[in-house]
Amino acid sequence: MSLFDLVEPGRKVLLMGNEAIARGALEAGVNFCTGYPGNPTSEVVEALAKAARKFDIYVEWSVNEIVALEAAGAAAAAGLRALTAMKNLGADVCSDFLMTVNLSGTRGGFVLVTGDDPSAHSTTTELDTRNYARFADIPLLEPSTAQEAKDMTKFAFELSEELGLICMVRTVTRLSHARGVVTLGPVSKERHTATFSSQDLWTSGSSSITCMFHSILHEKMKRVQAKFEESEFNRYTGNENAEFIIITAGTGWLYSLEAVKLLGLEGDVGILKLGTTWPLPEKLVLKHLKHAKEVLFVEEIDAFLEQNVKMLAAELLAEENVGPLKFYGKKSGHVRGEFGAGTGEIDVDIVIRALAEIKGLNYQPREREYSEKALAAVGSLVPARTMGFCAGCPHRASFLAIKKALQWDGRDGIVTGDIGCYSLGLLPTGFSVAKTLHCMGAGIGTANGFGKLALFGLDKPIIAISGDSTFYHACIPALINAKWHNANILYIILDNNTTAMTGHQPHPGTGSDALGTPIPKIPIEDICRGIGVETRIVDPFDLRDAVQNVYEMLKMDGVKVLIFRHECPLTETKKREKKPKVYVDQDKCIGEECGCARFCTRVFKCPGSIWDPAKGKAKIDDAVCVGCGLCADLCPAKAIIVEEET
Amino acid sequence: MAALDHRIFGAYRTDPVLGFNKIILQGRAKNPEIRAVSQYGGVVSALIIYALETGEIESAVLVKSTDGVNPKPAIVRKRDEVLECARSKYLACPTVSMVLEAVKHERGNVGFVGTPCQVLALRKMQISELKPEANKIKLIVGLFCTWALQASAEKCIRDKVGKEKVLKLDVPPPPANTLIIQTERKRLEVPLDELRRFIMPSCNVCFDMTNEFADISVGTVEGGDDWNTIITRTSIGEKILQTAIAEGVLEAKTLREDKLKHLYEAALMRKRRVLMEMPHEKTAYLLLNDEYKSKILMEKA
Repeated sequence: MSLFDLVEPGRKVLLMGNEAIARGALEAGVNFCTGYPGNPTSEVVEALAKAARKFDIYVEWSVNEIVALEAAGAAAAAGLRALTAMKNLGADVCSDFLMTVNLSGTRGGFVLVTGDDPSAHSTTTELDTRNYARFADIPLLEPSTAQEAKDMTKFAFELSEELGLICMVRTVTRLSHARGVVTLGPVSKERHTATFSSQDLWTSGSSSITCMFHSILHEKMKRVQAKFEESEFNRYTGNENAEFIIITAGTGWLYSLEAVKLLGLEGDVGILKLGTTWPLPEKLVLKHLKHAKEVLFVEEIDAFLEQNVKMLAAELLAEENVGPLKFYGKKSGHVRGEFGAGTGEIDVDIVIRALAEIKGLNYQPREREYSEKALAAVGSLVPARTMGFCAGCPHRASFLAIKKALQWDGRDGIVTGDIGCYSLGLLPTGFSVAKTLHCMGAGIGTANGFGKLALFGLDKPIIAISGDSTFYHACIPALINAKWHNANILYIILDNNTTAMTGHQPHPGTGSDALGTPIPKIPIEDICRGIGVETRIVDPFDLRDAVQNVYEMLKMDGVKVLIFRHECPLTETKKREKKPKVYVDQDKCIGEECGCARFCTRVFKCPGSIWDPAKGKAKIDDAVCVGCGLCADLCPAKAIIVEEET
Repeated sequence: MAALDHRIFGAYRTDPVLGFNKIILQGRAKNPEIRAVSQYGGVVSALIIYALETGEIESAVLVKSTDGVNPKPAIVRKRDEVLECARSKYLACPTVSMVLEAVKHERGNVGFVGTPCQVLALRKMQISELKPEANKIKLIVGLFCTWALQASAEKCIRDKVGKEKVLKLDVPPPPANTLIIQTERKRLEVPLDELRRFIMPSCNVCFDMTNEFADISVGTVEGGDDWNTIITRTSIGEKILQTAIAEGVLEAKTLREDKLKHLYEAALMRKRRVLMEMPHEKTAYLLLNDEYKSKILMEKA
């Protein structure tokens, strides 16, 4: 039974943070949902897609985040309740629209869910999207628990609709992917009808009209602030007159509670937990600043609350009986991760250390040598390895082909990387072929520059890499630019027919949508050829052909596109019932004496190939091997045998 | 009152003094020709013209005066007809009767401009199942109001100015305590105390200065002659303000904190006076609960 079959209000269930957000949207009567996949928010849209048919919701995976926000914005402008979910970098992509729709407003509830990834577990930045709420001047809610994730999402719709203003809910990996007990509320049965007539006008205006809308936005935010002063999502616990208070939000609240308890400081330290963090509920904060002499800020990533509260304190110094106050947090360096303050995820230990340092306590959560001892105890049980492509991943073949072709070419070509599984092209698993990595579309985008530097002495072949979903998301304008300016670029698109890294969501080339409905494909090659770019399609598992094509195309002038097309084995293997049997003929493998220097397990390193140290020969891990057979082609001794299924 | 709030706005008021409201701004008509013939900023005329021209409404019920004193309700469909109705009338006018004509005989949606008591009547009609045609009223622009004079005041005014056409009547906000009468040739100031005996008795028990049930309420800005205070209350009011700004019909900006405070104080004092000075049976019609009453009596000005 899925969570969406559960309609009984009052029932307690265990939900992932992202599912709780989706459930909150359902309880608010969401009609229209869009998003682009990315850690940590993918499951919000996926959960709503599962509920779409039952509750008559429109759900789409959009081509990118700005289109997602724009589409949802239109639904909201027509009076529907709309939600868009995206990861932190997605907020960058949609920010152009965000910075205008804050002025043009909304009729139906319009909620933007952003997921931050402190410690950048699966992101290329530790961007704190709360800054976007302050930047766009829109209400910001920060849940701490799965229950709050649900309740705040529902409230965000109501607030948005009441104020006519987009509202933001910020989650983090640790909340999105942890599970917690959630008491269900009723799913809204209210039906909304979309209307937009010739009398409607939805714009942020320009010149003086924009200034007027800006002034209206400020008026709206004053009202939000007044509501936030009374919000049940903000609460203070501990001694009402505590001279030491912690101001915290999101997951920081849970860490703070635990740290204070472990240190036995409940009597001395008050905790002001804020769920509504922009605009700041100033009166509430002031109330507690008045009894405080010292304030510690506990929050993920940036010193957002810290700066806002400090600014407030500075304003209040003269008027109110506030201070002098001592502030601790990221600026003071007391709340710091492994790589310093304002970087990495926070946790209970970090809060304990901060409190212990400030208060001069001697608290050792575990013996000093614990981590060394733990490492020693684990010993060789955990093999040292970096991230790698899956067994049978076509990207491994693609990068090998690029590496070989560049060797043949001999001009020390530059490869620019992009966002997807193939970001690992920077690492040994991709033979360290890629040399740059930033955000989606930056591979071909930066290649536009590298490809025009011959004039300044950098005359090398340039290869840009991207995946298929990334091609649709962010690469098309850059490809057009390259064609327009005749940049010298070979653009290789690694098309594995899915958005693999985020969990195999569909994209315009896969032939289906978020609900699995079949839809005609929009082939990458049609788009590239339409732009007027020479485009070839090769299966990277046909390695000789692949290398030959890269090599040939590197010699050609201008922009060229080479599509390496081979389905992701994670989706492909699910469709078949049997797989070919692959094994190493132990007579043919001559081990260390071969001269290949253990190519299969040391260089090519498919997880399906393993080295048997006892025999000094290679073998296949049948549980991992997907049967692609590429290693058989590469083995110089032809010792790897592929037996087709019978 | 709470029930009305809930039926009209879908929520209970958080602001006990100014009523349910979304945004408070100051604004004025961008077109100087509209401003020139208007009482203050011309927002009401500009909004009604805009609503007629965009098709939001096809007619509107306003108040006209051929002699500048004596008001008559009018159904208007065009810009010029709206401008003929510009400027405040200080004598009470039976506008609601004309609304009934309009909803029965006019094609399409109807707009309305009126005082708080008239708007209250229309809202009650809209809520009542007995008057389904009242739902043709799609835009209600509410005027701020402190009182209206009975018809007998006309003679008193005429005694002062003679037969001349009156161009503008104005009661400036306190501390001024006069009615200014502007004719083609002269400007007279009549102390309000001379006119108070003409005030409609029902005005003395009126609790609503800022037209709390309108889609959008419009009034003066204290000390700012060419601007209006604008309060949006419903999504209809919000939409028309936003689109009128976007189309360059209105200009708007933040209402200064001190002006807002004055407005709030005036509205609060009005409510407090009614509660404190009127016998209980006179205010019973408001059906106020004790909590709300104490809020009004305790609220800081």
